[in-house]
Amino acid sequence: MFKFTRAFVFVAVAFSFLLAACGTASTPAAAGAPATQAPGSVTLTGTGSTFQFPAEQAYAEFFPAVDPSVVINYTGTGSGAGKKAIIDGTVDFAGSDAVLNPDEITAGKDLQIYPFLAGATVMAYNLPSLDPKNDPKLILDGKTLADIYMGKITMWNDPAILALNPKIASKLPAQPIFTVHRADGSGTTEIFTNALTAFSSDWTAGHGTVIDWPTDKAGTGKGGNGNPGVTAEIAKNQYSLGYVEYAYAVQNNLPFAQMVNKAGNVVTASPDSTKAAMTDFANAFTPQLTAVIVDAPGAQSWPIAGYTYIIIHQTSMTDCVKAQKLVEYIHWILTNPAAIKYATDLGFIPLPDAVQQKVLGTLSQVTCNGQPVHW
Amino acid sequence: MKNTSVLKRNTWRERLNRSTRHGDIPWSLLVGAMAILVLVVVLAIAWMLWTESADARAKIGWDFFRPTLDATWNPAKDIYQAWPFIYGTLITSLVAIILAVPISIGIAVFLAELCPERLRLPLNWMIEMLAAIPSVVYGLWGIFVFLPVVVAPIGKFLAPLSSLPSFAGTLFTGPISEDGTSRLAAGLILTIMIIPTITAISRDVLLAIPDTQREAAMGLGSTRWEMIWQVLLPYGLSGILGAIILGLGRALGETMAVTMVMGNANEATGSLLKAGYTMASLLALQFKEAVTPLHTDAMIELGLTLFAITLILNLLARFLVWQVARRTPQEARA
Repeated sequence: MFKFTRAFVFVAVAFSFLLAACGTASTPAAAGAPATQAPGSVTLTGTGSTFQFPAEQAYAEFFPAVDPSVVINYTGTGSGAGKKAIIDGTVDFAGSDAVLNPDEITAGKDLQIYPFLAGATVMAYNLPSLDPKNDPKLILDGKTLADIYMGKITMWNDPAILALNPKIASKLPAQPIFTVHRADGSGTTEIFTNALTAFSSDWTAGHGTVIDWPTDKAGTGKGGNGNPGVTAEIAKNQYSLGYVEYAYAVQNNLPFAQMVNKAGNVVTASPDSTKAAMTDFANAFTPQLTAVIVDAPGAQSWPIAGYTYIIIHQTSMTDCVKAQKLVEYIHWILTNPAAIKYATDLGFIPLPDAVQQKVLGTLSQVTCNGQPVHW
Repeated sequence: MKNTSVLKRNTWRERLNRSTRHGDIPWSLLVGAMAILVLVVVLAIAWMLWTESADARAKIGWDFFRPTLDATWNPAKDIYQAWPFIYGTLITSLVAIILAVPISIGIAVFLAELCPERLRLPLNWMIEMLAAIPSVVYGLWGIFVFLPVVVAPIGKFLAPLSSLPSFAGTLFTGPISEDGTSRLAAGLILTIMIIPTITAISRDVLLAIPDTQREAAMGLGSTRWEMIWQVLLPYGLSGILGAIILGLGRALGETMAVTMVMGNANEATGSLLKAGYTMASLLALQFKEAVTPLHTDAMIELGLTLFAITLILNLLARFLVWQVARRTPQEARA
């Protein structure tokens, strides 16, 4: 047993020397002339968030055209699983909608989070008394929304809702509001509950990818599995209200509510209004480069939005070829117009310039075996 | 002395040769190993569930099982009380068993005793096809057809029962939501899903009853109904109970279809007409994006609970079968 262990250590040490030699040899080469590796020879493995999965899938399809030596392999196992995998070192990068909690930061040592896309969440509704074409959209504000999901506002003709919607007040029925939420753990729920927490001090159910919904208790709430599940519940139950991803609502032509934002203006969810929210918080990043961007103060900012992140090891990567390719990959995601278009087409919202500069600044500090890695 | 020992060795070898000549011993070792594999797998699962949930058991304690439907399961605050999900699993399985058992035994009796020969084969096929449909298909069919067309009207019809006193009334607190997703929907879908299991086994049990039993009953002048009710069913009772256990097992563990039709809400009244969770559906929905380590551990403890409930119900049922099997049909009928 002892002999075996010693042999094993020897091989491991020899192997790491070999790797280090490889690394030092290839870093300058890679910096000078990229893509010297054989096609498909570098596999970047990632796992985590299902929210960003469609974008990662598109990247995995198109990035090899830019650099044939790289194969991207991303699986949607959930943000929690992604964070665990990057901490355990079983993947090269993790996707997550949730930030790292203090325990995870300690356990992961040099983990660095990179926001690379944002998503907006919208309130879809089913009010048969409203004509989706001719009537104006329903308008809600943060406090009212929190009260609805708290079970404090239970009827569509509640004075608070009527006051926000003077033009359609006569068409809001005396019917109970049926609230729909995500039943599966989801980054969309995280964004939505972050917003409710910011909107109202009366919101006491907390925030996260899964929470305990107050309206469920009262029997006026229900969960749907994924965006399609929530949409189906809304479509099949009259007088219902639920939150779905902006991209999904647009693709499926769902009517969704406008919101009164913090500045008091009525805003519609769109890439521009979400970018405005990101810009509002461009200087609010934590050292880990995370930020909550709900209830943004800007005049035109959409109030329910959130980042989705890639997590990598900032300084402890030892395979410098891989580190090089990983940094190039993230840089491509952040800056390449084609990559940005792939994500935008899927309904994700790209970073505004102010945020992008900040993220690139941190990305330029990645090191491998003490050597800086440049894209 | 020497002689006998040599002789003994010879006989021992001879015996070994004789018994291994036809491969009996290797064969029995092989199948024995397969049987032990089952034991190992079950124990490994139990051990994993037990050790992985250690943190949850230590931190949450008995609060996890506090029997109140007004319970909190909030990963955002790390509070975990599992009673609504245990209740959800039990109530949906109970509905399914109560409805499926008479229907299945009825079908089984018809197929085994009364069915015209021309109908028998197609009917048997249908039953087996019903068992082969994937549960996600049941779920889809449930959402688009069964719930709006069947469950929602039944729910509306049952809603007046809420005036019943105490618990019986609470069970029917309405209104059922327009699309029909509810605990009742899950119970009815489970009913349909376990009917083929119970039917197929009960039919085989009835067919295996020797014809002498039938002839004797007929010879004593009993009608067909009396023969089936007083002779065949008591004779096959232990087998039919076994079929019911298998059905119950499927109902307790069913995940996909239930998740799709149950509405997924941690609702506090426990009404059949309201949305709810089962243990399996909660695990399926929340495990992937578990929030905190304690959330994961609490869900593993929930898995352990489901495992334990299934095991206990199985043992109880085994005990019942054993009790029944010891009695003669004469006693069983009394």
